Amino acid sequence: MTARRRPGYAPAGPVPPGRGPGGGPGMSRRGFLQAALVGAGAVAIGGALAGCATGADGSGRTTVRIWDLFSGADGANMQTMQAAAMKANPDVSIQSVTLAWGSAYYTKLAMASSGGRPPEAAVMHMSRLAGYAPGGLLEPYDLDKLAEVGIRKENFAPAVWERATYQGELYALPLDTHPFISFYNPKIAKQAGLLGSDGKLVSLDGVDTFLDAGREMAKVTGKTGMAFGYLLDTAQAWRLFWGLYGQTGAGYELVPGKAAQLDEKAATEVIELMQSILDGKVVPANQDYAGAIASFTTGRSGLILSGEWELPAFKAAIPDVGGMPLPTLLGTPANYADSHSFVLPKQAHPDPARRDATYRVLANLLSQGSLTWASAGHIPAYQPVLSKPEYQKLTPQRDYAHAGEIVVLDPAVWFAGAGSDFQARMCDAMSASLQGKAKAKSAVDGMLREMDRLLKTPNPA
Amino acid sequence: MAVTELTSPLAPTLPDGAATAGHDSWRDRRRARRAEHRSMARLTLGTSRAARWGAIVALVVLAVVWLVPFLWAIDTSFKSETDAASSASWFPAAGFTVQAYREVLGHGDVLRWMLNSTVVSVAVTLLTVLISAMAAYAFSRTTFRGRKVLLGLTVAAIMVPGQILIVPLFQQMQAFGLVDTLAGVILPQIVAPVMVFILKGFFDAIPEELLDAARIDGAGPWRLFWTIVVPLSRSILVAVAIFVFIGAWNNFLWPFIVTNDPNLMTLPVGLSTVKNAYGVQYAQTMAAAMVAALPLLVVFMVFQRRIVQGIATTGMGGQ
Amino acid sequence: MTVSSTPAVGQAADRPGRHAGPAPRPAADGVRTRRGVRDRSGYLFVLPFVIAGGLFLAWPIVSGLWMSLTNRSLTGLGSEFIGFDNYVEAFKDPQVWQTLWQTLLFTILSTIPLVLVGLVMALLVHTGLPGQWLWRTSFFASYLLPSAVVASVFVWIFQPDIGLANTLLDKVGLGPVGWLTDKGVAMLSIAMVTVWWTVGFNFLLYLAALQGIPGTLYEAATIDGAGGWRRLFSITLPQLGKVTGIILVLQILASLKVFDQVYLMTAGGPNGSTRPILEYVYDTGFTNYRLGYASAISYVFFAIILVLTLLRLLPSRKGR
Repeated sequence: MTARRRPGYAPAGPVPPGRGPGGGPGMSRRGFLQAALVGAGAVAIGGALAGCATGADGSGRTTVRIWDLFSGADGANMQTMQAAAMKANPDVSIQSVTLAWGSAYYTKLAMASSGGRPPEAAVMHMSRLAGYAPGGLLEPYDLDKLAEVGIRKENFAPAVWERATYQGELYALPLDTHPFISFYNPKIAKQAGLLGSDGKLVSLDGVDTFLDAGREMAKVTGKTGMAFGYLLDTAQAWRLFWGLYGQTGAGYELVPGKAAQLDEKAATEVIELMQSILDGKVVPANQDYAGAIASFTTGRSGLILSGEWELPAFKAAIPDVGGMPLPTLLGTPANYADSHSFVLPKQAHPDPARRDATYRVLANLLSQGSLTWASAGHIPAYQPVLSKPEYQKLTPQRDYAHAGEIVVLDPAVWFAGAGSDFQARMCDAMSASLQGKAKAKSAVDGMLREMDRLLKTPNPA
Repeated sequence: MAVTELTSPLAPTLPDGAATAGHDSWRDRRRARRAEHRSMARLTLGTSRAARWGAIVALVVLAVVWLVPFLWAIDTSFKSETDAASSASWFPAAGFTVQAYREVLGHGDVLRWMLNSTVVSVAVTLLTVLISAMAAYAFSRTTFRGRKVLLGLTVAAIMVPGQILIVPLFQQMQAFGLVDTLAGVILPQIVAPVMVFILKGFFDAIPEELLDAARIDGAGPWRLFWTIVVPLSRSILVAVAIFVFIGAWNNFLWPFIVTNDPNLMTLPVGLSTVKNAYGVQYAQTMAAAMVAALPLLVVFMVFQRRIVQGIATTGMGGQ
Repeated sequence: MTVSSTPAVGQAADRPGRHAGPAPRPAADGVRTRRGVRDRSGYLFVLPFVIAGGLFLAWPIVSGLWMSLTNRSLTGLGSEFIGFDNYVEAFKDPQVWQTLWQTLLFTILSTIPLVLVGLVMALLVHTGLPGQWLWRTSFFASYLLPSAVVASVFVWIFQPDIGLANTLLDKVGLGPVGWLTDKGVAMLSIAMVTVWWTVGFNFLLYLAALQGIPGTLYEAATIDGAGGWRRLFSITLPQLGKVTGIILVLQILASLKVFDQVYLMTAGGPNGSTRPILEYVYDTGFTNYRLGYASAISYVFFAIILVLTLLRLLPSRKGR
């Protein structure tokens, strides 16, 4: 690497000729400039060397760089799992990098792959696979090598495995399913008379039940009943919308080149429902992601609609926090979810030793780490873990584990998925209506317009 | 050679007195400055009390508005996370703590990015100043075929906003294998036609007789450049260097495009791209921001007049 | 003593017009006499700059132009020549027009206060009131902050629930404002932050120009009995006419290229209402992989900037 980088600093070259005419009164200034130049060269080369050193890790261990986007609260678990994986593979050094979640992450990942020096492995939402695998930004897994490290097709639910495959090749190694659910503060729920005899929240199914519960809890907190942060967020509004749309039982069809097929009536009904929830009493009309979390953890609201990945943060503030799937407000039980997986970004110069180390590390993270991972709230994709008694003891995880059976995933089209421009556009289209500044219909019209536009765009992947 | 004595042609642009001056003259100059300020106040405000107080009030209000965001960020950075997230009070319930700084500095990333930023900015500054000064010298003091065309192209290049080139530049870096290398961050930043233009203007003002005298002594072009042109233009070279350095230190778009590996990111890119694994933490975010802001601010406070002068000289972009 | 900086500004400020023209000043005549000497070392001196400029400026301009005529993708797929399809698409793409308009809107919203506030600051500091170091530091320090720092500080201040801005509003009995979340407000907030961030630069340029106004002018006016306001309007402001023109142009060109603070504070939202055209280029080329189309949009934008730059060069030529 050093050898390759040096030419980049060649322009420092003209220094020697400058040294030529020595002596004379101008010496000190010249000397200063020259010293500065030489210094710059040294610093630059030093930097290049340092950059190189990160690749090999002084001790001779093989470095495996893994990118993730766990800026939620479960990054800590990934750190623990990776530490354990390193312990089990002492010849490997894992260099973990957490990037800002969202479109920035996926843009960086694509740019890194296309730049030729991507990390050895990266976390990717399965909903994004359609935008990456066909474009050649990822490398498929070698199933034989996976089997060597103990990972087989039978370890996963067939539907999950299916979604991780493209043209017969496995491109993603599923880690979990993570639904968008509801958490509650038992203390506040109890004061609001919403706890059942089993100490769990009563069913909030049905619109009126749900809204009444929110108002009751608002009386207890003195602020709002529930929290839901969506302002400026490029996914939250879509998560709730798409989950609720799934509850209406209405279908959809998004095929590139064709007009979007969405049940407008059902979609409008969903937006209207969201508007009535975001009335400022049940849920604040203007809350952003961090604000909602702060509101819930500091007891200013009793329930939060949130991804289960925030569980550790909630547990830290409310040790007995409860969880349950998204209440069935519109008839059909359905719960928005996505799935984290590991992918192998395409390397310009693949290194067999690193590749080998990557397989071993990923296998360890899945088979040994899944239980730790589940403690953060996720439902492990590696199924042998689910039957373990340790998993059955986890609360509130087991209380919402069945959310994994009623999942609604993002449409499998190249532009959709977690952190995609598509989700951002959908959230944007809903934003005004959700803040009560526009009619529900206008949100649906805006969403349809954006869907049509994206379906018309040439597929670059 | 009597070259160093001949500072007169550019005397106004050379630093005031510079290194030779002792403490006494430093105090003298300070006194002179004060007197100058007083006379300036008399000239601009007159003797009216109302005008004086009006101006003071306006200054204080503006200064407060401009300082409050800083103070608030500093204040937050010394709170515990719980306090930072619970209310917007200047005085946290649990008292002030340096915990956030400990976390940020303990993590190591910020220091690594600071090192990268330093390497990148120093390299960009030195390379830019060097090749710009050389080119300016060539345009100002030598003749060669195509000089006029090249000069014309250089002037035209001033009008090209670098930002529109991010897409082809990225592709080019990909082809050179320079994506995710420090060279890839540095090299595209060293082309500064406007600096060539500014420097040429200053080099033009050096009297030809000085160069001729040296030529008679047998000095070649290299020697002319290093022993006459560069020393005589020290002040403008420093001004250009300061300007380029600030630009490189704060540059976001290009380093953001060309680095994906956090080990190679510069401070602004790293701060906004890489997150820690533990969720939204306001105190730490502010602590990291303050750590990132500190180096240039300290440099500024120490070299205020130099920097002010440098910006004023170069800021106009040779206009 | 700070006056020492002004001749430099003056010098720099005088140059381009003259040298762009065919008749150089006397000093350059030396060059002409040297022509007989045939000093070929010029090639060597200009070489590093030419190589760097060729590689990192000229070549991208050419290759970008070529790219804009292809359907090149970030994934490496498709590099077919498709003629002017990308440009046709760009002219029909409402996003191009919307982001272009938003870029202009930002330019207007930011340039006017950036020039005016910078002027007021410089006038106030130039009065020579005590505390010069403090005023200069307060007004200029923010200019030295990296965009990422500015963005995180203001995202925190504008935090809807517990941010400083809304808390202060609450204290004086006003309702919360969706600083970065309300479509009608977000662009204003970003312009405000930009003023806070970069006004120090204009402040310095104005201050340098003010210091270049000869004190004798004021003294003469004082003798004539002109009061403070009279002096401001009849001496100071007219003397600043030229520097204002330059600052205005620099500011417009800088504002048109806005990206950092928008990308970092709102990522273009809410509902794309703050997205400038450069961010659309980034989104199109890198997030959505369409390098070819992104290049085409860049060139449309480039053409607009070029026209603006040339337009301003014309009057300044005539003026001389």
